[in-house]
Parts: sequence; C-alpha cells; structure tokens
Amino acid sequence: MTILGHLAEVVAGLLRDDERRVLLGEDVADGGMLGLSRDAVKNPALRPRVLSTPLLPITSFAHAAGLAGAGRHPLVLLPGVGAALEGLTGLREAAAWSWRNRDSVGTPIAVPLCVVAPCGPGFGLGGDASEAAATMLASIAGLTVLCAGRAEEAGAWLRAAAEHAVTHGPTVLLLPRRVLLGAVSGPPAQSLGRDPTSPHRVREGETVTVLSWGAALSIATAAVEATGVDATVIDVGCLSPLPRAALEAEAKATGRIVIVHAGPRTGGIGAELAASFADAAILHLDAPVVRVAGADSPLRPADEGDAVPSVERVAKAIERIASY
Amino acid sequence: MESTPWDPEGAAALLDAEGKLAGGATLGGLDAKAYYKQLVAARSLDLRLSRAGVPMWASAAGEEAPLVATARVADDEEWIFGGGRDVAIALTRGMPLPELVQRVMGREGNAQPGRVSSSARRLAAGTDALGMHLSLAAGHAHAEKLAGAGRATFALCGEGTSTSGAFTETLALMAACDLPLVLVVRSQLWPNGAPAEAGVLGDSVADRVRACGLWTRRVDGAEPVAVHNTIASAAERARSGRGPGVVDVVVTQLVHDPPAHRDPVERLRRFLDGRGEWSSTFQDVCEAELRTQLDHAFEVLDEHDALASQRPGGRP
Repeated sequence: MTILGHLAEVVAGLLRDDERRVLLGEDVADGGMLGLSRDAVKNPALRPRVLSTPLLPITSFAHAAGLAGAGRHPLVLLPGVGAALEGLTGLREAAAWSWRNRDSVGTPIAVPLCVVAPCGPGFGLGGDASEAAATMLASIAGLTVLCAGRAEEAGAWLRAAAEHAVTHGPTVLLLPRRVLLGAVSGPPAQSLGRDPTSPHRVREGETVTVLSWGAALSIATAAVEATGVDATVIDVGCLSPLPRAALEAEAKATGRIVIVHAGPRTGGIGAELAASFADAAILHLDAPVVRVAGADSPLRPADEGDAVPSVERVAKAIERIASY
Repeated sequence: MESTPWDPEGAAALLDAEGKLAGGATLGGLDAKAYYKQLVAARSLDLRLSRAGVPMWASAAGEEAPLVATARVADDEEWIFGGGRDVAIALTRGMPLPELVQRVMGREGNAQPGRVSSSARRLAAGTDALGMHLSLAAGHAHAEKLAGAGRATFALCGEGTSTSGAFTETLALMAACDLPLVLVVRSQLWPNGAPAEAGVLGDSVADRVRACGLWTRRVDGAEPVAVHNTIASAAERARSGRGPGVVDVVVTQLVHDPPAHRDPVERLRRFLDGRGEWSSTFQDVCEAELRTQLDHAFEVLDEHDALASQRPGGRP
C-alpha cells in the first residue's frame, strides 16, 4: 500500500472514531487532490461529515475555527502548504480565537482544528519547495506546527495531530511530499507511541548530534551512515512551539551540532535552533553550530530537489564537525 | 415631506419621516415602547463612552437600530459576531453596565478596548483582520446547521468591509453551504464627499449581494421598525432552514449632522408621540435611569483601578 492510501484509511478512521470530526476542503467530496478523503466519501455513514466548501483562499481557516469554536473537530485537507500561506490571515485569527475570547468567567472556547499540508519538493511542481513555509507558520503565536519525517510514521503523525491529545489549539501538520512518496519497509505505525511535541532519537551516538526533521531526516540519517561517525540523529518533529529544553539537553550531550533541514537556510527554524544553543549551551559546545539546508533562491520546478540538501553535503559537514 | 439627499433610494421603511405608519403597515407584534427605551439607552451609552477616552473610539450615534434590533432578535443561545462600533449589542443583551464598562475600557477579557465580547453571553470577540469575523461566524453557523438545533448565527459589519476578500468569500460560503447565518451590513450614504469605493460599486451593498444569489433586503436604518422586522424575518428563515440572509441597513451617522428625521431614535419618538405614548417625563425617566447606572459603573471602574494600582505591577 502507498503512504497516501494508508493516510486515506487513517482519515476515515478518525471520522469514525469521533462524531465531532468533520473534513473540510474544496475538493474533499471528490476524494481530494491527493486522495486523502477517498475512503471517507465512500462510507455513507461518514459522507455527511465530509464538507466541501468553495475555494476560500483567505478565510478557510477562520471558517474552520468557527466550526471548532462551536464544538466540531475540523480536519482541513490542503492540496499543499501554499494554501496555508495564502490563508495566513485566517490562520492568525484561528490561532488567536481561543485566547481572544478568554474571560475571567465562563468556559474558554477550544479550537481543536487540524490542518494537513503536503510541503516541499516531490511532485515536480516547484511552488513552495524553495520557501520557508514552516518558518512562516511557526511565527504565528498560538499555532502548533508539526512535521512528519519518516514515511512509516506519516499516518501516526496524522492521528496524533488530529487527536489533539497534547496540542490543544490549532495545529498544522506538514507532510513533506518526499516522505509521502517514500518507500515503507514493513507495516505503517498505527500510533506514534510518544509525545508528538517532544524530539525523538532515531539513532544513538556519542560524537555528534544531528538535528533534523521532515524531508531532510532520511538524508541526515543516510549521511551519518555514510560517514561512519558515531552520531545521534534527532527528529525535531515539533517546529512550533520548539521543545527548547529537550533540544538543548541533546545539544549539550555531544557539544557538536549539525542541523539539517529542507528549504532555505536564511531565517529558517535551524537558525532559531542555532541561536538558542549559542544562548543556552555555549559552554558545552566544542565546535561551531553548523546548518545544512536547501537552496537560498527561487527554484525552477525541474530543480526543486535542490530544496533538500544532498547526502554528500551533509556528510561533509558531519565529518568536519566530528573532527573539529 | 419630500425626500432629501440624506434619504436612501430603494430602502424599505414602514414609518415615514414624520413617524407615521405607511398605509396598511403594522408593527408586526413589536413592542415599540420597549424598543424605544433600548434605543435611547444605546444612544446615552454611546455619548458617555465618547467622553471616556477609549483609544480609537468611533461613535455609533445614528446606527443604533441594526445593533439593538439584532440583539433583540437573537435568542440567548444564538451567537452574535460584531464588527466594531457595536457596544449597544451587549447593552441590549442585558450585560450589566459595570461589566460592560470594564470590558469596553479593556480591564476584562483579551478583546481590544472599545469592543465588548463575552463567551458567556454568546458575544464573539472581534478579529484583528478586517472582515475575518464574518468567516468565523460562517463556521459557527455551519456547526449550528450540523447540530440541527434550529439556531441562527448573526454577524455585523460596515459597508467598507464589503470590498474585502473575506466578505466575498463569506458570501460564497453562505450560499454554497446554505448556512443559517444572518449578515447585517451597516451602509453609510454620503450626500457629500463619497469615498472611492462608493463611486466604483454604487451605493447599494444589497445589489451586489443579490447578484451572489442570496436572500437580501435593503432597509432604511433611520427607520427602526423596518430594520427590526427585516432582521427578524432573516432570522426566522435561517432558523427554519430556509437559508442565509443579508440585511443591508442604510445608516446615517449623526456626526455628519443630518436632518432630524434621519435619526432613528427621533423617528420612533415621533411614532410614539403620534400615538400619545411619549412624553417628556417618559424621556427624562429613560435617560436618568441609564445615567445613574452609568455613573455607578464608572465608579466601580475607578475602584477597580485604584485596587489594581495598589498591587505590585498593577495599572498606574
């Protein structure tokens, strides 16, 4: 089974599990551009909660937040993260909605809204691949931004994001297209089995700490294997709010940090992490904090792969920092 | 009386300029005296708050009819999404004045000063971005439709918002998803010095909305009876599943010094006077009652501020 087919099953399962859930999107009634609502629309019991809307580039998230504030659990399926950037205005209101309506009396309004957005290179369409979409979303106060890094965990990330067990407010789950197209060895994980807002060690090592997420995570792991350096690889996973204390502890453990992510290096989440280590862990660092990221320029659709650093570039950086 | 440049064309009214019911028209069960008291209270509150030094305050004098009428028509469980200059809604909904003043002065809640919201009273907070509260209201109405409880949701905005993308998208959403949403637009007419959008779009929001396929009525905001009854019709349609409605209310801001018949409070006063239901004593009682309560509310605010300033890090 493909990852997208698995995700379609998870989406239908989420609707079955909780009657408050509704699916939103312009084309959800037709299965969605990626087929994520295909299983849900086939089920007559779930069909009434698959809510097609007109194209609402500016207001879709405010509409979803209105539904959420009134007790629904909307799952917004976007064709790509570009739609989230078009809708930043509505996303800001969605993120502020609970806070703005908070009083010293009365029950606060909850906004259990989950937005699912494919991002980065993979389909050969260019678009958002060369932009720091995650950074733009992470700068909205009150919004949680999660990013799946491993193909076998994509469904588990979706479940975790939509269940709001840890994240109570509006949550955007970024699904890198490269991860969606990735091969899965073995059955996909049904549950994440950990707190989605905490960093996760995907490989243990003593010499270097490699921090990565999303489309770059598999590159980072491959680069570590290629160098033979005894490195820890961390899946950061939650890009906003950043789990700073846990990440700083990881940085201090080896004192040698390589940050690997897709998208432009300038103004990225990696820059925020590097600044945070300089601030909180400077006395534990034995080498410069190095970032390896994608191209810092617009990319033609044919070159969109340059939005993710190559294994060779990452390996070189790891070797340099390991022997610094 | 002949119509003046201040009178909108094609806007429904039941009372003429002298406050007389047009031939065959009825109040339709409206308690005109109670409604009048609420309009007077809204006016008095507006005048008092205009002197209170609220940042970016804009008076709503002359625009009371759609505010008071919406609050009267909406049931207690039905949410109202205001759009600024709408403090009268909370007053008409029965929010005690000390609480209202605390909120409007920014001492309670997280809404911006000058606005009144309260989730307990189903009054949604305003948004940062222009017109985005309309889309939040559409989402809320969508949830009400799914719940099937026969409740409407109300949202208000000014005609300026009608050129925004959020307004247009909300219309598309209301129409496509058949939402139980009543949108009340307060449109100003400009007898002299119209802004740019009026020239481009004509003076009727209703005409543009009708082209989107929505149930639309245009009423004269200086005539409070028509305003009330039209909003009530829109609400009944929404509650009974007959779809969304947009009520375009042409208001005249008193700050522009229009002729007296353009003042909705005066128009209803003339009506009551014509029926022998108004006297200067009645007027004095209406105004004095609210003035006393308002004075008390501002005393409570001063006490609150005095206490807060004594706490470490408190308001100076």
